[in-house]
Amino acid sequence: MNQFNSGPSINAYNKLSHWFDFSDPGTLKVYSGKIDIGQHISSTLALITSKITEIKYDQIEIIKLSTDISPNEGITASSLSVANSGSAIKAASITLKINFLNYALESLKIKNEDILFENGVIKDKNSNKTISYWDFAKTDDFRKIIIPENFDENSLKRINYENNQKIELKTINDIVTGKYKYVHDINFPKMLHARIVRPPSYHCKLTKINEDFKKRLVENDIILFVKGSFVAILSLDEFLVIKFLEIAKNNIFWEEKKQLSGDNVFNSLEKNEKESLLVKSGGEAFYEEITEKKSFDDPKIKSLSTIFKKSYLMHGPIGPSASCAIYNDNEFTVFSHSQSIFALKYSISKYFDIDPNLVTLKFMPGSGCYGHNGADDVAFEASVIAKAYPERHILLKWTREDEHLWEPYGSASLNKVFGAINDDGEIVYWSNEAYSDTYLSRPSDIELNNFTSYKFLTNNFVITKSKPKTSAHMGIHRNLDPLYNFKETRLVKNLVHDLPLRTSALRTLGAFANVTASESFLNDLASIKNVDPFDIRINHLDDERAIDVLKNLKKKMEIFKSKKGSSRGIAFSRYKNSAAYCAVGVELNVTDDLEIKLNHAWITVDAGEIAYEDGIKAQVEGGFIQAASWALYEEVIFDSKEIISKDWDSYKIIGFDNIPVFTTSVIDQKGSPYLGVGEVVAGPTGAAISNALCKALGQRIKILPFTKDNITKELLN
Amino acid sequence: MNYLDCSFKINGNLKKISIIEDKSLIFVIRNELGLTGTKLGCGLEQCGSCAVLIDGEKRLSCTLLAKDYQNCEITTIEGLENDNGLNNVQKAFKEFNAAQCGYCTSGIIVSITALFDKNKKPSSQEIQNALDGHLCRCGSHSVVLKAIDSLIEN
Repeated sequence: MNQFNSGPSINAYNKLSHWFDFSDPGTLKVYSGKIDIGQHISSTLALITSKITEIKYDQIEIIKLSTDISPNEGITASSLSVANSGSAIKAASITLKINFLNYALESLKIKNEDILFENGVIKDKNSNKTISYWDFAKTDDFRKIIIPENFDENSLKRINYENNQKIELKTINDIVTGKYKYVHDINFPKMLHARIVRPPSYHCKLTKINEDFKKRLVENDIILFVKGSFVAILSLDEFLVIKFLEIAKNNIFWEEKKQLSGDNVFNSLEKNEKESLLVKSGGEAFYEEITEKKSFDDPKIKSLSTIFKKSYLMHGPIGPSASCAIYNDNEFTVFSHSQSIFALKYSISKYFDIDPNLVTLKFMPGSGCYGHNGADDVAFEASVIAKAYPERHILLKWTREDEHLWEPYGSASLNKVFGAINDDGEIVYWSNEAYSDTYLSRPSDIELNNFTSYKFLTNNFVITKSKPKTSAHMGIHRNLDPLYNFKETRLVKNLVHDLPLRTSALRTLGAFANVTASESFLNDLASIKNVDPFDIRINHLDDERAIDVLKNLKKKMEIFKSKKGSSRGIAFSRYKNSAAYCAVGVELNVTDDLEIKLNHAWITVDAGEIAYEDGIKAQVEGGFIQAASWALYEEVIFDSKEIISKDWDSYKIIGFDNIPVFTTSVIDQKGSPYLGVGEVVAGPTGAAISNALCKALGQRIKILPFTKDNITKELLN
Repeated sequence: MNYLDCSFKINGNLKKISIIEDKSLIFVIRNELGLTGTKLGCGLEQCGSCAVLIDGEKRLSCTLLAKDYQNCEITTIEGLENDNGLNNVQKAFKEFNAAQCGYCTSGIIVSITALFDKNKKPSSQEIQNALDGHLCRCGSHSVVLKAIDSLIEN
């Protein structure tokens, strides 16, 4: 380890007290701006702290994010939790350890070789005198220390640690005993349970509520909350709210302002108004002229073009979104499982036009989070209701149907890919045009209309067009720029307007579609010249770490003999071309009934220095399973009247009956920056399955998901 | 609204409460008795997160009428611990860190407990049958299966 950069969080929070609280003897409390959304970031952060400070893992507690005490490290998203918060806490830990050692040696007037260091306490071997981190934290020295932005070789020499620890997750005991508390489990005296009465579709204005129904509500002590076209019912008894929610549906009437488009979404993606931007090497998008695709007359060069299609995908957490809010003494306290806890604080204060300091957001766990789901919406909605009933906690939960119908989906998309390969197996031209709706419609204080209920509260149903984001790998063009050194590329991002369904950030944004398309197409180009899938990739890579993950994958796959009748496929990607590297291999069988059975999955990942190896494995295996589910089963079905995928029967996801055996390898780059792994595996998984399927069928299937229907259609074409 | 005086035997304790007569069992368990380890995921018997044991059989509590189960032995995730602490399934899940967000985990543990209570060496098909109808969205399946396999090996 020659140098270490503390990362962006240290710029704003450079004191030890921003990260550490030693007020409780024997326990080190650690602050972080990131939250547990299923990835067990708390355990990883505690482990990083423990490795460096040599305070036992069990003595370390990660404080749940609360906007009044925690550092604002932005959204818990984009595979940056370990990269940002992990690096910051590592920097704080190194600073703490070095300063503590100096302080102890000086105070005890001893040398390095005279010390015994255990559980955060330094003992002089000769005199038995001790000094602890907790003693040090009370000194003026501790308060004055500034965490540097960079550490040089000399400071790092004093820090020794290994990266192969096994730990018990901080939350696991509570999870297996049912004691782990989610926001859904909150219970306060006199708390009101709430549900929203939803209209049949996105663009509906409230017209009438039956008087008899209102009377029945009053008779049963149920409160009816109406603001604009936003309707909710509240009761002390949760069951009663659910019971009356069903009755409400037949007693509340709406005027539909606009129907959903009943057109095939892939036609709409081509036909509709769009903004087209040129994406350059490095992954940034520019408003520049987009040249026509090249054509090739040279007989030594073969070209190919394909269109890949991906349907709308759902986040679909198993527990629907929920939030609890109270308005008391002009202040809001909101419990939420949102990824965007700080942004929510500012959005809610903006909506009510109050000082942001009057809004405190407290993180409480929710069900797994894979991007911008309903969590922000429900917290905003709970706050709106809470304002009307001061001093009462409002626990608002979305129903399963709310979650399926109202969450922002991952957009449907098209990738038009064209490429050319010469006789030497060299790719001389590569064009990829991505067409999609936005992946970035998170609400904020300047985009309150991104809350799904905002239009109902304001009765303003005007649709605002989203604007293309241009930063590198942002949204639709994430991983559109391949890491390969192709001679010439032409990359186009098309943000398509007026598409039917609400969309926003789903795990990987555009990368799943882009990598699935490009890594499938790469195989198709290679096969024209009979180039091996590993060779075509390795031959077009300069980055040694990328080459190493592919070589490692190849070695691991060779160990296992293929099952009878099975087919294999591989794929590779470096997430955002700047985060973790990942190569995936898949072996599958296709049944006579065109069902795809996954036998084996090989994953090799280089995530920089290993923060927590089992955590990385859990993330990439979990990511594989989710992406396999997208690739094999998932599509949101809708028509011009409604979204039809309203439960788990009408939106199928992967079950325990199609889980492959995993061989997962993590390459440790000790001393290198941490690189996040929450999303890296999805793109290569889609492509590896696509490539194995292509081999099995002898034909490329170009539409996701790979259901019997889609495969049949493609085979008949 | 009609209320009914009911008594339930949950996790070995007898509880007498007055409930709305058509209240679903999950709301008695979670809201009246405060046993929030049982999770509401869909309310449609499609996801498995609300699984409990009724007289030793796995049942999905989200659609059951509570009043019909007054004379039964109901066990929730909180009641699985025995005199030696965690039961074997809980121990295995803990040892393998077999959960991501954990929302689906208690339902799965309850189902697998029911399976192993009847059969110490279930076949892989029997394990699959027990897991049928349990959805996990984070992708904890691989480590959950490892934890379950360890129960057979041990």
